[in-house]
Amino acid sequence: MIDYELTEREKKLKQDMADFAAKAIVPRAKKLDESPKGEVGQLVKDNLKQLAGVDLLSSGLEDDKMDMISSYLAGEELAKACASTYMSVRSSIFLTGGAFLLFGTADQKRKYLPALRKADLVGAFAYTEADAGSDLGSIAASAAAAGDTWLLTGVKDIVLNAPIADVILVLAWTDKSAGPEKGMSVFVVEKGASGLSIGEPLDTMGLRGAPLASVKLEKCVAKEILGGTAGKGLAQVGKLLEMGRVTAAALCVGVGIACMERATAHAKTHKAFGKPIGAFQEVGFKLADMFTLNDLGHTLSLRAAWAYNIGEIEAPILAACAKLFAGEGVTQVANLAMQVFAGHGYLKGTDIERLYRDARFGEICEGTTEILRTVIAKHELDRFARS
Amino acid sequence: MDFTLTDEQKMFRDTIYRFAKEEIAPLCEEADLKGDFSFEVWRKFGEMGILGLPFPEELGGSGADIVSCCLAGEALGHAGVDGGHTLAIGAHTYLCAATLYHFGNEQQWKKYIPKLASGEWIGCMGLTEPGAGSDAAGLRTTAVKKGDRYILNGSKTFITNAPVSQVMVVYASLDKSKKHEGITAFIVERDSPGFSTGQPFHKMGCKCSTTSEVFFEDCEVPLENCLGGEFKGWQMALSSVEWDRCTLLAPFLGAALFALDECAKYANDRVQFGRSIREFQAIQHRIANMRLFIEAARLAIYRVASSKDNGQMLNPLLAAVNKMYVGDKGCDMATDGVMIHGGYGFMHEYPVERNYRDARLGTIGGGTSDIMRMIVSRIMLM
Repeated sequence: MIDYELTEREKKLKQDMADFAAKAIVPRAKKLDESPKGEVGQLVKDNLKQLAGVDLLSSGLEDDKMDMISSYLAGEELAKACASTYMSVRSSIFLTGGAFLLFGTADQKRKYLPALRKADLVGAFAYTEADAGSDLGSIAASAAAAGDTWLLTGVKDIVLNAPIADVILVLAWTDKSAGPEKGMSVFVVEKGASGLSIGEPLDTMGLRGAPLASVKLEKCVAKEILGGTAGKGLAQVGKLLEMGRVTAAALCVGVGIACMERATAHAKTHKAFGKPIGAFQEVGFKLADMFTLNDLGHTLSLRAAWAYNIGEIEAPILAACAKLFAGEGVTQVANLAMQVFAGHGYLKGTDIERLYRDARFGEICEGTTEILRTVIAKHELDRFARS
Repeated sequence: MDFTLTDEQKMFRDTIYRFAKEEIAPLCEEADLKGDFSFEVWRKFGEMGILGLPFPEELGGSGADIVSCCLAGEALGHAGVDGGHTLAIGAHTYLCAATLYHFGNEQQWKKYIPKLASGEWIGCMGLTEPGAGSDAAGLRTTAVKKGDRYILNGSKTFITNAPVSQVMVVYASLDKSKKHEGITAFIVERDSPGFSTGQPFHKMGCKCSTTSEVFFEDCEVPLENCLGGEFKGWQMALSSVEWDRCTLLAPFLGAALFALDECAKYANDRVQFGRSIREFQAIQHRIANMRLFIEAARLAIYRVASSKDNGQMLNPLLAAVNKMYVGDKGCDMATDGVMIHGGYGFMHEYPVERNYRDARLGTIGGGTSDIMRMIVSRIMLM
């Protein structure tokens, strides 16, 4: 029986996150965005600690499963408050924590999950390289067995949380001859490992409060493979990134709602020609378009989250649709919001100027718009493929 | 949250899809080319029992929930039934009969619902006038109480099914000084003195539904044919039009499913530059857009439908979002369908051509996209 209502527990989680973020996270969003890149690490770590303190850091990351609906709802509220903080949380909890939860050995789960949930440890996931983003089969990083351990060599070039990470998951070749499907593994690399170096913090157009750096591996010592068995790396990363489209959509919709709320408030109070600018159709209709894009992005995301929770076979395609819609949506929403603010939004230091920059990552992270279209199209075309 | 259809709903949709694909869709291409309403198609709708879906069984209906009503519209569109014949169902079942059922008394139900539910009679609804489109509250048709009857004067336009209908729900003003609060609904039968319909319009799309003007010249309506009480018409019109922002849109979703299937087949089969055109990213881009539209439109439509089934108040904001999205993006989706087919998409022999013309109505009928934006922005700015 079709029913779109959230449960009481889900509504409460969303409200709790909204309330806490308004009090503790929103007031720090501007500072996070404006601080020098070398300083954001500590600031964002404080935010992670605060969220953990009220048990809101790891919503959805349960002991035995990922509750994607909770992850999405909490994520959207946090992204609305501070997109940079959300991206750091997402990397530590949903990607790194999620990797341990879904694929880790019992020992790995015991060791890392509670610490990640409390923000005693911060996690990072290193898969992208300069020459391998969407096409992870082309990475160069490789691992050589050395007795009980592995020695990793390569460079991962844009790793969220790298400057503050205590545990980094690294995708590398273990057996090139086996091909990407069976020849790659995810390694657990701890901070301070011999041969591990983290590059200078990288500056970005938006999401400036999310710590970012390259990770250099020079015969870096890794003691463990995620899940304990080599050869499963590409499938593990694939699954995480595919599910991660739901939490990436949370970034998009959260930022989109933040843009819409500010634009709506401005349209009510800012006057021109003797009336609030929202009364002019050119402005009011932009608000309506923002609402539609956010609302449907939100609904598509929850639809996909629900599909994962019940194990629906089409979940990956629904997640791709949600992320594609929300990603293109937030690009448009931020643009429309900027237009409503006009000159007042173009000023440095305004919320809308920050949100506009943050929004642009929506179409890039966890499956670019282009990759998502390819994935969705293949799925549809294959239904009628000639054998 | 739950997005599962019940087994009964799934079976219902599949049954309609199969029947429509075998028995009805083959009749639609020619009918569309001629711009004819097909009585054969209509009889088959009646046989299938889909003309009285939401009404109780004792009145000849099926007692279906609103989600099932939408599933029926979706299945017909998906099977390849044209937008004209599905629009005829919309005007008949939801605009006419459902209004009669929701606001009528038992005597009116018994007289009209069984005949409408079987398809023996065709119904239509008259709100729009030459001078009152989006601004429906400005309608000019008048009703005056005179002895044992009302006398109606005025005209209506763009009335779907009017040329083939036997009964019409008409909105007229019983007291102009009360403005929209003077509006009252009446049930008018075709053979009423002073009632006539114009020549069918030639339309751009949804051509198999017949649409014309309706004239009332001292048209006599018995007192018992006042529907829902005097001066209650405006609220009735609003509520029925708003709820119809799901049932009347479901066939557009179905048409998109049909178009996507056709396009995916074509893209696999068509070879250019030595390979199947499915391999070109420009084609993939359009295929992905179509699927994305389907997913978002489906969620928007069934959100409105399920809220009614679950006894919730209609959220006018979400109903308007639904109408706006399905209308606007439905046109984009239809454009993608034509472009995937290239020159063939411009030819009537390929159903994406019809879909392109039919989709346009989604942005116009039942409140234009601009009016939907007006509703949404007003609520946001409250």
